[in-house]
Amino acid sequence: MKNRRSSGAEASQSPGLGAFRSTKRLRAGGIELARTYGIVLGLVVLVAAVASQNDVFISRVNLLNISSQWAPAGVMAAGLTFVLIAGGIDLSIAANFNLCAVIAASIGQHHDPGLAFLAALGLGTGIGFINALIVTVTRIDSFIATLGVSFALTSISQILTGNQAYYVEREDFLSLGAGTWHTIPYAGMVLFGTFLLLGLVLGRGAYGQKIYAIGGNREASRLAGLRVQVLYGSTFVLVGFCSGLAGILSASQLGSAQYNIDPGILFDVVTMVVLGGTSLLGGYGAMWRTVVGWAFIAAIGNSFNILNINSNYQNLVKGLVLIGALAIDAYVRRLARPGAT
Amino acid sequence: MTQHEAAEGGERPPPAVRALGIVKAFAGVRALRGVDFEIEVGEIHGLVGENGAGKSTLAKIVSGAYRADAGTLWANGRDLGGGNPREHAEAGIAMVYQEPKLVPGLSAAENVFLGKTPRRGPFVARREASRRLGEIASTVGIEVDARTKAGDLTLAKQRMLDVLRALDSGADILIMDEPSAALGPVERDSLYRTIEKLRDGYVTILYISHDLDEVVRLSDRITVMRDGSLVATKPTAEWTPRALVEAMLGRDFVVPTRHKADQQEGDEILRVEGLTVPGALEHVDLSLRKGEVLGIAGLVGSGRSTLLRALAGGEPKAAGNLFLEGEPAAWPVSVSTALRYGIAFSPEDRRRYGLVLGLNGAVNVSLTNMQAVTAATFIQWRKLFKYAKQLVAPLGLDPTRLRLSAASLSGGNQQKLVLGRALGAEPRILLLDEATAGIDVGAKAEIFGIIDRLAADGLSIVFASSELEEVVEICDRILVLGRGRSLDVLQGEHCTVRHILEVAFGVEEEPAA
Repeated sequence: MKNRRSSGAEASQSPGLGAFRSTKRLRAGGIELARTYGIVLGLVVLVAAVASQNDVFISRVNLLNISSQWAPAGVMAAGLTFVLIAGGIDLSIAANFNLCAVIAASIGQHHDPGLAFLAALGLGTGIGFINALIVTVTRIDSFIATLGVSFALTSISQILTGNQAYYVEREDFLSLGAGTWHTIPYAGMVLFGTFLLLGLVLGRGAYGQKIYAIGGNREASRLAGLRVQVLYGSTFVLVGFCSGLAGILSASQLGSAQYNIDPGILFDVVTMVVLGGTSLLGGYGAMWRTVVGWAFIAAIGNSFNILNINSNYQNLVKGLVLIGALAIDAYVRRLARPGAT
Repeated sequence: MTQHEAAEGGERPPPAVRALGIVKAFAGVRALRGVDFEIEVGEIHGLVGENGAGKSTLAKIVSGAYRADAGTLWANGRDLGGGNPREHAEAGIAMVYQEPKLVPGLSAAENVFLGKTPRRGPFVARREASRRLGEIASTVGIEVDARTKAGDLTLAKQRMLDVLRALDSGADILIMDEPSAALGPVERDSLYRTIEKLRDGYVTILYISHDLDEVVRLSDRITVMRDGSLVATKPTAEWTPRALVEAMLGRDFVVPTRHKADQQEGDEILRVEGLTVPGALEHVDLSLRKGEVLGIAGLVGSGRSTLLRALAGGEPKAAGNLFLEGEPAAWPVSVSTALRYGIAFSPEDRRRYGLVLGLNGAVNVSLTNMQAVTAATFIQWRKLFKYAKQLVAPLGLDPTRLRLSAASLSGGNQQKLVLGRALGAEPRILLLDEATAGIDVGAKAEIFGIIDRLAADGLSIVFASSELEEVVEICDRILVLGRGRSLDVLQGEHCTVRHILEVAFGVEEEPAA
């Protein structure tokens, strides 16, 4: 398969033969374009379809509302993008997020919100660090390692809360989630700030390039002198920090936290990253893809609300969209590589 | 010219396999140039040649894994023109690969009968399966416990399972590609006995090996290939190891010559004593002088690549004494340590170990030295391309190609990316593993020119390659490895392909006739 690709590429380098292959190349180019921007097209179609049914959907107020409401999931998706590109997965993010929200709320009940937020951020990062140690030192596959951590964290949340919710009534604690600046919600600003900053680090930072490198070819990266395990582990620390941040946002938005804030959030976050086109196999993906995936999932969730559809159907639609998108992507990839199995 | 006997025998049975005018090309490079070839029924037919001579390609065409571009093929009286692997299997051909094709978690019996396990109702009939496995195994004189998991068996036994599976499916023509590779002496003996039993049971065997001794011991006839053509097929009695080496060599290769320094007395820059990598290398010594090109030659499995990886810090379990310009230093067990020592590495199989194919050329070049192209952790794209350009332009790579993904470049240009990256670390010692593999003649000449220039500028180079002609041409001295040990260091007039092969194959010096 590799040989096939290389020979094709070399052939297209020779200008004399190019003319005879132009239709083939055009087709390949179209496929590449469809792969790259197909998800954007899907988002446009979705938005147009919902907007035609209801004017509220693309109103300024609703869009700002979406940016705030879906901020926790988006912040985690931004961090998870790094893990996936590095060739791993973190299934403990939702449980981590939940525990951080619980800690923030429990401290925030009686103490300064700054302390509560810092503690939650530190906890999230610490859990990320533990994940990093597990996957790099014991070399347990990240899928099963973080699944195990996820169970443990959920259990800790239950023990801490005794299955009760912590309610926080201090105004200053709630201002992060509810506050606005010229009608723009703080939470939305945090979200887009995270997308922007992490997008720059991933796309323009030396660190980001190294993450692509280890995800694309770990052995070659090792032999080129990269500290592969340190880099790989660092992505888990990063997504742990993002989970802590998401936990703070959620606790502050809701003014409360219990052990099961949003049972569907893990699915939503993973779907955002994968739907955008970032590869589960590592080495391929981008932050803008995650932004598009975020918008897609947020739009579906929001449209159920404003179109008054029974929310029981929501996950059915999300599941079908995810499978459909991946099936189309897999099919297009097969077209792009004739002969590959 | 090749099948002189074929014309004589009118009453001989038809051959088990007959190939006529087989041509096969990969991406325009001709791997087989019209091969006429026959295997007689019930013989062990040895097939030898250097790496890239076309042995495996021919074997894969016979087995049906590849389809010939031109030529005709018959086996057991069937015309196998369709290039359909199933037709080949139905004609009774089976291939035993170097890497056994087994399901490690299933038992030996389940592996042998994979897909047609004896059943009783919906359940596996274990006793029946064991009994049938025992029957087949006894015909070739091997003992296998039917219930042992395939993954727990030794490599030799695993290969035997592949053989048993082939026999069970009714194959009577077996192709064995390096079946003794990675086996110890005792396992080898048991393999040889099995193969002889197979022949006694009228199984026809095509035996491909780099080990001339075993080919001579086992085969009834031996065919030598070189450069995609068949040199000769003769009964084993008419060959000697020396004659086989001669036939494998040929003379018509063209390699650009390097101007070797007459004076080989530079200062010793690197000395290695007793380098051991568990399972791969044992007590290897070497010494490298300033501005010298040291060749590393050896057959498949000799430990060539492991030696270079260990020097580059890529083998965490490596241990040995290292002296840099006479000063002892801890053995590098990470690539970054080796880079700090001034040792840079261009690994073999550049697509697998050298490059991140999805990233562009410039990032690949600067991967080792990212801090050179960043400001406050962010990459300065202009700086990045400038850095990469300054490294690869002297190597003759068109800098505009740096913006393309590494996957889309030709083999020669990919090699220049890896080379550029290594040189970016400003090394004292450069390790090149298979730097000329799979690149065209023009690019090869360029790479040789680069090596020549770098050595003249005082860089010490270790050059490992399976292309012996190239090693001979480019290197000042040659370390010959065999099964993880250093066999000899050749220098001066002893640096010839023949000497390397004689050392590697263990052919004794014969007094000149």
